[in-house]
Amino acid sequence: MSKLIGEPIKVHQNEDSMITAFIWRKRLYRVEEVLSWWREPSEWWRGKVMRLFVRVTAKNSSIGTYELYKLGEEWFLHRVFD
Amino acid sequence: MDRLLEKAKALNMPALAITDHNRLTGAIRFYEKAKVLGIKPIVGTEIDLEDGYHLTLLCKNMRGYTSLCRLLTEAHMTNKGKQPCVPKEVLGKFSAGLIALSGCSKGKLPTLIGKGKTEQAKKAACLYREIFGYNFFVELIRYPSRDGLSGSRGLAIFAKEEGIPVVATNNVHYAAMKEYKVKELLNAIDQNIPVSQLPGYRTVEQYLKSPKEMTRLFKDIPEAISMTEEVASRCNLELDIGKLHFPKFEVPQGETQHSYLSKLALAGASRKYGSVTPKIRNRLEKELETIKKLGFCGYFLAVWDIVRWAKKRGIRCQARGSAADSLVVYALDISTVDPIQYDLLFERFMHPLRREPPDIDLDIDRRRRDEVRDYIYQKYGAGNIACVGTINTYRARGAIRDAGKALQIPKEIIEEACKGIHYLSASQLLEYADSLPELKKNTVYKSPELKKFFELCVAIDGFPKHLSVHLGGLLIGDGRLSDLVPLEWSSGGDIISQYDKDDVEKLGLVKIDLLSLPTLTVIGNTLSNIKKNRGIDVDLDKIPKNDREAFAMLRDGKTIGIFQLESPAQREMAGRLLPNRFEDIIVSISLVRPGPLKSSMDKVYLPRRHGREPITYLHPKLQNALSETLGVILYQEQVLKVAHDLAGMSYAEADGFRRAMTHDRTEEEMEKMRDSFISCSRKNGVSRKIAEKVFEQLAAFAAYGFCKAHAVAYAVLAYQTLWLKGHYPAEFFAAVLSNQPMGYYPPRVLVADAKRFGVEILPPDINNSFDCYTVENGAIRVSLKQLKGVSEEALESILSARADGKFTSLRDFVPLTIFPLRFTNLGSCKSSSFLLSRESRAPTLTRFPSVG
Repeated sequence: MSKLIGEPIKVHQNEDSMITAFIWRKRLYRVEEVLSWWREPSEWWRGKVMRLFVRVTAKNSSIGTYELYKLGEEWFLHRVFD
Repeated sequence: MDRLLEKAKALNMPALAITDHNRLTGAIRFYEKAKVLGIKPIVGTEIDLEDGYHLTLLCKNMRGYTSLCRLLTEAHMTNKGKQPCVPKEVLGKFSAGLIALSGCSKGKLPTLIGKGKTEQAKKAACLYREIFGYNFFVELIRYPSRDGLSGSRGLAIFAKEEGIPVVATNNVHYAAMKEYKVKELLNAIDQNIPVSQLPGYRTVEQYLKSPKEMTRLFKDIPEAISMTEEVASRCNLELDIGKLHFPKFEVPQGETQHSYLSKLALAGASRKYGSVTPKIRNRLEKELETIKKLGFCGYFLAVWDIVRWAKKRGIRCQARGSAADSLVVYALDISTVDPIQYDLLFERFMHPLRREPPDIDLDIDRRRRDEVRDYIYQKYGAGNIACVGTINTYRARGAIRDAGKALQIPKEIIEEACKGIHYLSASQLLEYADSLPELKKNTVYKSPELKKFFELCVAIDGFPKHLSVHLGGLLIGDGRLSDLVPLEWSSGGDIISQYDKDDVEKLGLVKIDLLSLPTLTVIGNTLSNIKKNRGIDVDLDKIPKNDREAFAMLRDGKTIGIFQLESPAQREMAGRLLPNRFEDIIVSISLVRPGPLKSSMDKVYLPRRHGREPITYLHPKLQNALSETLGVILYQEQVLKVAHDLAGMSYAEADGFRRAMTHDRTEEEMEKMRDSFISCSRKNGVSRKIAEKVFEQLAAFAAYGFCKAHAVAYAVLAYQTLWLKGHYPAEFFAAVLSNQPMGYYPPRVLVADAKRFGVEILPPDINNSFDCYTVENGAIRVSLKQLKGVSEEALESILSARADGKFTSLRDFVPLTIFPLRFTNLGSCKSSSFLLSRESRAPTLTRFPSVG
């Protein structure tokens, strides 16, 4: 089961651009593993832009699976998996 | 292609492969451009197999290239009107020198593995290994996806189990990721659907990835990366760019091609000139020496043979263009232009510094062009001949229409955007939006909502739309054409090369242009009409060159129907030029063109021509080159002469200079040329100031210069039609009307002009009209083809039935002919063409049963 969020987050990346942590609702989530990443072609003919998605396992108080996406220069939390 | 190669260069990639689908169309230019950038070009193709799956093939060497050309030709030839595909027997027959990769997601192995059909995949792999042996690899293409790296893990495991090496590839369609939109747009256009309805899997990953990106994608299978390098190292195709592949021409025993050509040229020159003076002999020898040095003797013999065959059968044909600069071409009776009389330069046509095969274009009587083509097929073999392909690319209008449709832009906006831009390339649209009057006043170009749309139109500028037939161009190989050039069917049913004329030229292949010229048909028809009606055999080679009546007609603008001289612009020029000699026709043809008129060359030339202004030269050394045109540069040959006389260049160098001036050059390149020209001129004793002025004149002229040899060749035809019209107007007009559509004016204008020349026009008559306009007692009888609704079949039946005797009534007409029922309405029956006898119309109509 998953839940759509769609809220802005702040992302930390290492020199290889790998996401190491993110901050959502003022709480720090440390990334344990990058499970997958992909780019989705957008409906560019409607003026929408492409998004980069990253699915990670991350730990705050517990480990969970999170899907983040980048739109332009900003990052958002797309979905949280139970 | 340029962007891909530039990115590969920037990424320090040592090699790049091109794999067009079922074609090699981009291969030659890719090969050349890659070499220039120091990137190893790997030439290949992705083919459709008979079972519908894809397979990637790469050439290891020249043998592999030939295999690929033969394989693709077979795939296309055996599937006329259908999607080309390769049966496995053909794959087996043409596998030498090739490396096979299992293909993209539509390959057989990926598809079967993806469906869990391992046993079938094993069989397929076994077959590929049987055909390609150690040259078969499993191709892994990886895209990042939601579920991890898509599609390839199962395939990689399969390959490992079967002992087949894997290679890491990337299904590249564009250089940078953001260009995926362009690819999707082109896909939508190709499928004639809106982009929003593009089916199937969409991706942004088909861009050229860096070695770092590829390594990261395949970090769990590093052997795939190293095997890719191994495959690239096995591909070492060296195309013999520039090596000539002329058709084999048999010469008599004891002769070489050169000796035979020389004999023919000398004999021809003797016939033309009566006696061969030292000047003629020297010129001939010089030309023959150049032809021999460049290895072109066989080509000249081939063209001579074709023209000789045609003329023997009464088919009018002659060379056009710069070939007429050659005395050898004239002596061989290929052209009608005497280069000595008209002071033409051979170097404009050919010289040792110009290594491309020569290009002799032939104008042929329109009705009989196919006979000449059939002769060539018969002589050289159908497997050795093909039409030349031509790649139609997007220009502004096409880009706006097709992209607009795919993006569902409203029709009215598309129509508005297309106004007045037919001459622009798409990439010029936005560049000129604020400067060109046609675009400035058009609000669509200023609309912010349409900005991205126009940017996409610019992005598809120059992209190929489709491959079609180059009009008139015929390729003749030196054995089997498909060893060197892949062939396919055009939509019109011709066999065409997948390469365009530039690429076939690079491969050293001979192209002969056989162009239909209706004027040759008109001249032929006119001469037949004269013979038939008056019993006179007119020899156009012997008519006086400066006939007063003909030039009077020309000055009075009575040139409707005259080749090259009938347009309003030409007639207006005649009124100002007041031509009275043949050379004036050459000038008129060269001058009445957009370039010279826009540059006001006529305003400089005409006052000098009429003695109203003095003839001046910027330097005395220019007199030799420019005296014939009163100090004004009109012809491309004059550029050579100026560069030779003023700057001391050889004629060969001068032609190189001329060609460089006529191609698009950067400012820097023009500056270099200017400096070189000035420096050479100064060494020749010419001041810098004069040299600069002359260079400016040459640079301005370069855009619109005309080849004098071509102008002369066309002036000969123009004069012939003028003379024929003046002396035999009925026969001439009958010929012109019989060969419509052609020329500048519609038939009604021609008919009106004929009447002005005192020629009566007789209506169609069932007993006296034919399938063309004919001359009857000095009048013109309208053709039966002019009656609406008369089919070829009906016409044939009328003429055939009439051979037994004229029709005397409708009673004997109707049952003897196939006549369209709709034609036999009262209107038609009442036309005088059905007045078969002196019976009145009414009794005629009531006496016979209804026929419609």
